Amino acid sequence: MTMHDDGLPNDPEGIRLMIHALVDGELDAAAALAVERRIAADPQLAAEHARIIALRGALGRLPRPDVSDAFRARIAALGATATARPVQDVPTQDEAAGPLRGTPPPQPGLIAGAPVGGGQRRNAETRPSQTRALPRARRFGSFDWRALAASIVVSAVLASGATQWVMVDNASDSFAAGVASGHRRSLLAASPIDIVSSDRHTVKPWLDARIGVSPPAPDLAQDGYTLIGGRVEVISDRPVPALVYRHREHLITLVAEPQQGGSTIEPADLSSGGFSLVHWSDGAFSYWAISDMERPELDDFVARFRKAAV
Amino acid sequence: MVLSEKALAERFGEVVLPHLGDALALARWLTGNAADAEDVVQEACVKAHAGISGYAGGNARAWLLTIVRNTAYTWMSRNRSRGILAVGDLGDLDEMAAAHGTSLPDEDGPEASLIARADTAALEAAIAALPPPFRETLVLRDINGLSYREIAAMLGVPMGTVMSRLARARGLLVSALGRAP
Repeated sequence: MTMHDDGLPNDPEGIRLMIHALVDGELDAAAALAVERRIAADPQLAAEHARIIALRGALGRLPRPDVSDAFRARIAALGATATARPVQDVPTQDEAAGPLRGTPPPQPGLIAGAPVGGGQRRNAETRPSQTRALPRARRFGSFDWRALAASIVVSAVLASGATQWVMVDNASDSFAAGVASGHRRSLLAASPIDIVSSDRHTVKPWLDARIGVSPPAPDLAQDGYTLIGGRVEVISDRPVPALVYRHREHLITLVAEPQQGGSTIEPADLSSGGFSLVHWSDGAFSYWAISDMERPELDDFVARFRKAAV
Repeated sequence: MVLSEKALAERFGEVVLPHLGDALALARWLTGNAADAEDVVQEACVKAHAGISGYAGGNARAWLLTIVRNTAYTWMSRNRSRGILAVGDLGDLDEMAAAHGTSLPDEDGPEASLIARADTAALEAAIAALPPPFRETLVLRDINGLSYREIAAMLGVPMGTVMSRLARARGLLVSALGRAP
């Protein structure tokens, strides 16, 4: 290998790192020029350079995860709640963006200070969206969520009555009371669900991973009942999976208590006072569907769920 | 100076919301799946919200991603058994990379055109197979678009380490894609 006096490293390892830095836009003009000259003079380096560029291109074409409207709305809603307090995992500005203490001086030819190169390109992409962010956030914040919130307030009032009814009239059935109060709590909480997904292939593994059981979670969107997620309820000191469906502006909580060798029970109406609770069992799970919907509508949901869950 | 609640809420909207896609991408590659990524990012955003008054300008994406990364590791140590997390000694890994990982490939490295044609599934599988510190560095650079300096600051390692991990990660991807049919 010929020796160069262009200030670049002369070992293969060093020059290779410099080619990566060139592709990443981390080099100043003088160093970039020197690296480009080396590449032009050496087919092996040129091939390496071409591979890195090809890889960067392939990585850039990878699909990005989409930020669902519901997820964005949940995060946007955080901005409107709670008071700021110090938290351990949050870096101070110095840690996050400032120079690193104990870091050796930058490699020769590396541009000191960020952002540079690839970073610049990304910044150019994100800047417009930052200026758009606020109106967008507001839009998403109100999207769907305002209507839902209105329903939540109404449901909460109804639910509190219903809970009382369940506790007073069905005092022996504390599980029903647990289901009802879980549903009510969920309506009052910032989000009625812990895992937001309309995809049962997401919800079921999530429940499986947490409590080791997951009930059938059929997609009933075509019937007008959209699976919007799931959560874990703790009823009678035991964690049980709960699915959340939405029908127009109503939420339906479906608690599924695993059964061992249980019998099949036809749906039984436990509703009262404009608040619907239906209980049935298919032998594997004991189901409790609760909602502020009218009873016939909830029955319709139960029938469709039972048909689809076979 | 104490900012009003409203100003803090607005800042949260400006600093956090535009970068949710990046946050999910990082969390997805650190945790290994998309459902866990949403959990991690939501938790990170709660922390970001609580700490928003500590954000004083600079790269908002890097600031948020630092929180996402910290949260992801806390989350994994809480939700997963130790076995999954064990990644070996990082120092060893870097030495290993320096010793034999990053020497120039021979003349028979795969053609650039083969790499350019790599399909999504093959590339994602190759990324998933990278040792965690290499994968993390690659994702921060090539998917999240952070600069070497920002990555060094986030990981708390010298810039030279970032450079060698990145070169090593890319080298492993290139050879994985070169082997793919």
